[in-house]
Order: sequence, then C-alpha cells, then structure tokens
Amino acid sequence: MSVGPLLDVEELTVRFRTEDGAVLAVDAASFAMGEGEVLALVGESGCGKSVTALALTGLLPRGAAVSGRIGFAGRDLRGLPERDLRRIRGRDIAYVFQEPMTSLNPVLTVGRQVGEVLRRHQGMGTAAARERAVELLELVGIPLPRRRLGEYPHQLSGGMRQRVMIAMAVACRPRLIIADEPTTALDVTVQAGILDVLRTLRAEIGTAVLLITHDLGVVADIAERVVVMYAGRTIEEAHAEALFARPSHPYTRGLLDAVPNPARHSDGGLREIPGRVPVLASSPDACTFADRCGYADGLCRTRRPAMNRGPAGHQVRCWHPLSVPSTVEA
Amino acid sequence: MSLLELNTVEPPVRETPPGGRRRALRRVLRNPLAAIGLVVVVVAVLAALLANVVAPFPFDRTDFGASLQPPSPAHWFGTDELGRDQFSRVLFGLRASVGVGVMSVALSLTVGVPLGLLAGFYGWLDPLFSRLADTLLAFPFLVLAVGLAAILGPSLATATIAIGVGQIPQVFRVTRGETLRLRGMDYVAAAVAGGAGDGVLLRRHILPNAVNALIVQATVAVPAAILGEAVLSFLGLGLRPPTPSLGGMLSSAESLFRDGPWLVVFPGVSIVLLTLALNLFGDGLRDALDPREARR
Repeated sequence: MSVGPLLDVEELTVRFRTEDGAVLAVDAASFAMGEGEVLALVGESGCGKSVTALALTGLLPRGAAVSGRIGFAGRDLRGLPERDLRRIRGRDIAYVFQEPMTSLNPVLTVGRQVGEVLRRHQGMGTAAARERAVELLELVGIPLPRRRLGEYPHQLSGGMRQRVMIAMAVACRPRLIIADEPTTALDVTVQAGILDVLRTLRAEIGTAVLLITHDLGVVADIAERVVVMYAGRTIEEAHAEALFARPSHPYTRGLLDAVPNPARHSDGGLREIPGRVPVLASSPDACTFADRCGYADGLCRTRRPAMNRGPAGHQVRCWHPLSVPSTVEA
Repeated sequence: MSLLELNTVEPPVRETPPGGRRRALRRVLRNPLAAIGLVVVVVAVLAALLANVVAPFPFDRTDFGASLQPPSPAHWFGTDELGRDQFSRVLFGLRASVGVGVMSVALSLTVGVPLGLLAGFYGWLDPLFSRLADTLLAFPFLVLAVGLAAILGPSLATATIAIGVGQIPQVFRVTRGETLRLRGMDYVAAAVAGGAGDGVLLRRHILPNAVNALIVQATVAVPAAILGEAVLSFLGLGLRPPTPSLGGMLSSAESLFRDGPWLVVFPGVSIVLLTLALNLFGDGLRDALDPREARR
C-alpha cells in the first residue's frame, strides 16, 4: 500500500427510486484496497454489499443515483462514460457472480465464452484465444481442459461452472476481481475448492480480490482484511484476525455469535440477531443498528456515530464499542 | 479430501458433444405424432423440390381426350376439365405452396426479429415499435392482401409479401418478449460485467437463446402461410393460371365439384395433411424445447 491504494472508495452513496419511494442502499461507504489484497465485504442480506460491488464499475440500473468517489488505479470511475467503463470491465476489474448455474450462456460452448473475453479485450484471434482458454481452464483446476472447451454449460457441474466463471474473470489478468458470493450456491466441499482456486490465482497473478459474502467461514479462510456493512453503512473495518478475536461493533459480534458452533451452543440452540435490516429512505441521524442493539441508548438514537480509528487500522462506527479501538470508551 | 473428490466427480466425457438442439430433435422423434409430422413434411418438401422429376406429366399439358377422368393407374389423382394430370399439378402446386410458406416466413423473420430485439432491448423504442405492430395487426389479413394485390398485381410474389407482412407483428412480439425475458438473465448480466457492448449482447447472448421460441413460431407460421396462399389463390390474388398452386386448384375446381369431386379432394387433402403435419411437428418441437422440461 506504499504507492497509494488500488481501489479507494470514498463516501459512496447509492439511492434507488422505486415505486414505494426512495431507498438508500449505500450510505457514504468508504474503504480502500491495496494491490493484491484480499478484502472481504460482509454483512447480512440487504445491507448494500452487492450494490456497492456493482456500483464500482457502473453496473447498477439506470434508476440508481450514485455519488461519492470511486478511485481505481488513480482515476475516478464514477462519472466515466459507459464506453470507458466497458473497457475496464472484464479487463481491469472482473466479476464472479453468485449463480454459476445461470451465469453461463447455455447455447455457447465453454471455449467460446472464455474466448469471447480474450478476443474483446486483448484483440486475440480465434485460435490464439482458444489456446489461451485451455491454459486458463487448466489454471482454475479443470481437468481435461481441451475437451471442456467444446462442451456446453449444462454438461458441467456447479463447481466446474464456477471455475469457468473464474477463468473468464482472470482471462485478462485483471488487477481486481470482485467475487460476489462466489461460493454461496455451492456444496461446502466444492466451496473449499473454489476458495483454493482464488488463493492460487492471487499468488500467481497478484490480483486483488474483493470478496463479498455473508459467510464468515469463507472470510476466515481467505480474507486479509474485513469491512463489515450494515444498512448501507460501513460499520467496522479490521484485519481478519483482529476482527475475529476482538469484534468491536455489537453487530459484528452478533454476526460472529450467529455462526453455528457446536462447542459453544451445547444447548443446541442457534443465536441470532433479533429483527431485520431496516430499509431506509434517507440517512438517519442515529446509529442504524440501534433498534436491534442490546447496548443502544439515547445517544445511539439521536446522533450518527462517526468512524473511530483505533490501532492497526481497526475502525468502528459505534458509540459504545465492545473493545479497544475506540478513543471513547463506553 | 475423499469427500471433495466424490463431489467433483465429472460427468463422463462424451465423444461428440450433443448440442442442446440435437438432443431436442431426438426428443421430438420420441413423440410419435411429431415424428409422423416430420416425415410428412420431409416427403412434401422433397416432392415439391423434385416436382419436375417426379411428376409423370408437365403441369400444363392438356389432353382433351382424357378430360375429367376419375383417379386411375394412368392418372393417380384423375384429370381436370382440360385433361391435365392432377397428380402432377398437385406436386407443382405443392412447390408453390411450400415456396410461399417458406419465403413469407423468411420475410417476416427478417423484419420482425431485428425490430423485436431492438424494442425489447431499448425500452425507449418499445412504445413506438409496439404501436406500429398493433396497427399492422389491426388490419384484417385479406384487406391487406387485396390492397397489395391491387397495387402490385396478383402474383406469387404479391401473395408472399402480403402473407409475410401480415405475420411480422407475431414475429415481432415473440422476439420482443424473449428479449425482455433474456435481458434479465444472469449470463447477460455477467456478459455486461465482462465488458460486452450492446451489439455483442444482442448477437451472441440474446438472439441465440431466442432461437428456440422463433423456431416454434416458424412452425406455426409456415402452415398459416400455406393456408393464406390457398385463400389468396382461391380469391384469384395469388398465382396466375396455368401455374398451379394448391389453393388455386381448389378455386378452379369449385365449379366442377359435382362432376369431378377428386378435383377438390386431392389438393384439399394435401393442404390439410401438410399443415397438420407442420403443426404436429411444431407442437412436438415446442414440447421438446420447453425450458421447463429437464435440461439434463
């Protein structure tokens, strides 16, 4: 992180206009990533993770109003014309989505789909793209890659399809891969394989990975740093070990407690966080988690907490943080 | 680790990758009605293509010594009032009918598919194109055809154009609907995220996936066009005599029905058989291509 971050998101805000009025999906989210870093963006469903990821390269539908700064490799992606964004998508920033079963075109062979990215961004001919596709499939751990090229998506298992998606994502050696719940739709054992592939790629190509997930097991497995989002706000940011060892935000603590753990829950019950993520129309002058938080008091309901910076980059947005990083101890 | 291997066991690699369409065709042939339909269609198309080889007589050779003969070994389908061999005329008539059917559907696809893609993909074009399609749809088919015939003069081309234009709205609607559906698919979103432009999305990701629906639409449209040609020729707006078409033969046989019922029966039965066969095959194809059917 010496030469400045690869990705530097500042005060990213996304609003949707829907039939039921405005929805504030992302509320001034800020985070940064270095070259080759694996950052996990976690939070439960509906807290703005995926919207954040899509907003980075302008993939949100037209009705979305995006503001803030999206610094990538020294320039602001927000407000770039569609034509320039198209050149960045797939070449500098690549995506891997949640649904491997439906993210491949059913009528095109694997070879053509992988080759399409190469032909588009690297101007390769059909034959060269084919050769490179074989290498890529091999790289993501697909056996008999040359044969797979001629096969259709329905002939592959879910795990294999996700590997193909990853092969397409790394085809142009992007500087950043955004993996949105890449393992959620897969069996646990296949998940491990996919995470291995991501780890290997990072080692071999030096790609940074922005991993979006609600699965803390995945986070512990692969991420170096973690950003926790809640109701559109970033509420805690820390190195992975620090976050697991000493969660500061009550919400983070709740997420960790909700992970099934046979040792801890000997009574057989699962702990959960009561209530659900609020859908907000505007940014309230309060902590958005206050309604579900056991520690909330009047302060939490009337004033918006700022991000407190602690040692080792541990940051938390809470009036009554549970552990060290704050300057204001509860 | 053994669990991991169990889970990632690959389906056996097949020698030839059977494309989705080839598998669908196999599934069609397992449906007996559809298989019969396909056989009849193939026979009819071959007969139409090879009419000048297969037909025992030229379609316009008259023989007044043998006029209005019932079916016989010499004239399988009998002869008309001018002694023309009806079997030969049915074969040539089939050529006209199949030709009109295919060409008019080709015309409606050529115009309807691009417009449907654009309307489905670019929402702001949709109201304009859809209202135009509705307008065209509001014209009764015969009014359109008679109007065109008045301008262009009755001919096979006129009939083809009238039928083709009349079918554009249906093709447009099917394509537009498919485009709207496919635009929301994950793989289209994935292609956008991979940097694909609109042209690539439409050409490589949306159109190929809409083909199934269009194939089915075409198998309905071809028999409709054949019937349309029969109607237009019956009204004297299609082929000019002596060139036969199935509808034209029916038309001229009308007054002779009592003296030579076979003059009505053979072209009539041919039309019914051909359209029925196409519809059966189309139904089977639609079932086989139905995405709700298990894909594996």
